[in-house]
Amino acid sequence: MRVEASIVDGPLAPAAAFHADGAGSLLVFEGVVRPREGDRDIGALDYTAYDPMALRQLERLARDVAERFGLLALRVEHSRGRVPVGACSFRLAVASPHRKESLAAIDEFIDRLKRDVPIWKSPPGLPRPPGP
Amino acid sequence: MNVCVRLFGAEASAAGLDSITVDVDEPPTCRGVVDAVGRACPALAALLPGVRVALNAEFAPPERPVRPEDEVALIGLVSGG
Repeated sequence: MRVEASIVDGPLAPAAAFHADGAGSLLVFEGVVRPREGDRDIGALDYTAYDPMALRQLERLARDVAERFGLLALRVEHSRGRVPVGACSFRLAVASPHRKESLAAIDEFIDRLKRDVPIWKSPPGLPRPPGP
Repeated sequence: MNVCVRLFGAEASAAGLDSITVDVDEPPTCRGVVDAVGRACPALAALLPGVRVALNAEFAPPERPVRPEDEVALIGLVSGG
């Protein structure tokens, strides 16, 4: 089982090749920034991560989901900082022998990401606290 | 004990701060930190029932003691992905 997790500044680069020996299913989910947030048009989102907790939680979640669903490989990438509309801010790639494990793993991973990984997004221009 | 608490997301926006120093009742615990933040910053009161405390960048249960050297953060509703 191969597990990789990373948090990078700005939009994610185009996906690198992803494969795993023995896989019958390779799934890649990409989250991109929508042009509307609530009832307003936006040009970008700003992502804030609590480092190093965010990466640690992302790695922990990746290992746990990979083991739980018997995945052959999992790679997750998340942005921090500003990501313009239409650009990719999140990518999850999973490989498994059959499709059902991959589909279920992606669904569970994202649900838990939105609960346990300290990353926040907000449109630029909203009131923000002072500081770094 | 005085504790500096890091704030993020909705909590930081509501407080207008990215950290707040609060006086936590003895013996200091994670639950005590949340109570102290509520006393010090009423603007956060509505958000506090949903927050978790992180000690040294790890989630910690409410009863966990807080030491002077700990890094303390409030983790509310996250919104990654």
